[in-house]
Amino acid sequence: MLNRVAMYKDLDPLLLSQLRLALMSFLMAVRDADFNLLKEKTGATAGNLSVQIGKLQDAGYISVEKTYKNNYPLTICRITPEGIAAFETFYSDLKQYFDK
Amino acid sequence: MENEEKTLTPQESLRVIRETIDIAKHSFRENGFHFLLWGWLVVFASIAHYYLWEIQPVERPDIAWIVMVVVGVPVALLYEWRRNKNERTQNVMHSWYGLIWLGFGISMTISIPTAIRGGLSPVPFILILVGFATFMSGILLRFRPLIFGAAVIWAGALWCLFLSPPQHLLLQAATAVLGYLIPGYLLNAQSRRHVQRS
Repeated sequence: MLNRVAMYKDLDPLLLSQLRLALMSFLMAVRDADFNLLKEKTGATAGNLSVQIGKLQDAGYISVEKTYKNNYPLTICRITPEGIAAFETFYSDLKQYFDK
Repeated sequence: MENEEKTLTPQESLRVIRETIDIAKHSFRENGFHFLLWGWLVVFASIAHYYLWEIQPVERPDIAWIVMVVVGVPVALLYEWRRNKNERTQNVMHSWYGLIWLGFGISMTISIPTAIRGGLSPVPFILILVGFATFMSGILLRFRPLIFGAAVIWAGALWCLFLSPPQHLLLQAATAVLGYLIPGYLLNAQSRRHVQRS
């Protein structure tokens, strides 16, 4: 039991948030996605989504590109190699937690 | 997902990962356009090739296949260009799907002249390769009609052993109908139902 508690503490705290984990999971399956699609798929508010994207960007897990499409601003989020590694480690730690 | 900083339990984390990846997977819907485009072109070119070889012989009956380059390639490129323009995400599954068919295209481009130079009909080799690409597409899209279609195409490749080269062409047209036109229409219908629901 103590072992499990220790393992839980070892899990990446940045990914132990529902919205951030959902964002990372979605971006693992797709290479990149625009802000509105992420908002649609996660059901988050624009403000909350912006904050959580900022945190993932600060950690280097995702990159954000601001561009234009048909004269409208477009924000594209893309998972970085560091983000992929962090997600894989998190998932592997999670599996080990359940295996114990 | 209004709770910004709610800390998840491991169980909740696993559920979030599974649910989100499932949502992402379902956001990739193939509408079967390429199966329908290339399927009809193969049917047309195979029958035309047979006609110009056996019924109304001409010097180069294989000219019928020019339709693949003149019609197939521009239409497919235009379709992909328009799709990429409207795409809001680059799905990993979509990339794999494209890579499978790119691999098929390269293999076919090599195998056709190789077979012809060896004095063999290229049709059985094409069917083996199409069968494999269709099979992989069926697995990737989790769409059984394509897997059954692949089995039909592979069976057609075997059947070629008992037929003459001109007959291979008719068999190729038949496998195109059963192997990817029918699954293509079913895929298209599934995609339309999905669009109507969402």
